[in-house]
Amino acid sequence: MLPAEAPRRDQATVRLTFPPEAQLLGTVRLVVGMVARKAGVDEEGIEDLKVAVSETCAVAVTDLAWAGLDTPIELDVMLESDRFGIEVRDRAPVDQFAAKGGAIDGGELDDRQFGLALVGALVDDIASETLEDGDGHRTRFWMRHRADTGPPPPL
Amino acid sequence: MDLDLNVRKEGDHAVLEVGGEIDVYTAPKLREKLIELVSEGSYHIVVDLEKVDFLDSTGLGVLVGGLKRVRNHEGTLQLVCTQEKILKIFRITGLTKVFPIHTSVADAVASSE
Repeated sequence: MLPAEAPRRDQATVRLTFPPEAQLLGTVRLVVGMVARKAGVDEEGIEDLKVAVSETCAVAVTDLAWAGLDTPIELDVMLESDRFGIEVRDRAPVDQFAAKGGAIDGGELDDRQFGLALVGALVDDIASETLEDGDGHRTRFWMRHRADTGPPPPL
Repeated sequence: MDLDLNVRKEGDHAVLEVGGEIDVYTAPKLREKLIELVSEGSYHIVVDLEKVDFLDSTGLGVLVGGLKRVRNHEGTLQLVCTQEKILKIFRITGLTKVFPIHTSVADAVASSE
């Protein structure tokens, strides 16, 4: 995928750093939902964001677990005048997914691809790329403010 | 964060009432319960999602797995859901064409009798 449009940084950024533990994803959803609500995102948009954030972080958690790593996941919540963005960075080896043949757990569906496809359907713009040093991933997506809502208030 | 699972019988159907959040952390618990039901001979299952606050792709995968298992025994797996935020996940993944989704447990049970 091509890199997503870079953040303009004309508004606030909220940054979370957390260990790659699946039981923390509920807390991450809660925090992102609260920031989004404070920023003026409507309820439907908040629900979409929660799913998109959870799916993206779940991929990072699973990839890191597969690699046997516990390096933290970084998540930026980016608030700009006309859009709300999320960037997730992990330190999972880039080539491991191909090595394990696509299936995460031998489950009924390919959870990784299915999850990212779901994110793509929920947000306006998504891109995933390798980190600059080649060791990890950056996934970034945006949700534009709906026409009937104004710009977000300051945090 | 936890997942509440309660099973009751309604005629030939096992009704699995799910409450809480279904994600990559909690979905294995749901998977185990569905496997347990099928292994006990419950091949007509209604999964009531009315008390589910969150559902992700892992949860969808578990439900698809449950559907496959009951179909191996010529059974059925039906869903009950009226929450728009949950229904949206089924719609955008195309799974509304795979699962019968009802507005009540009574409707779900009646539809396959």
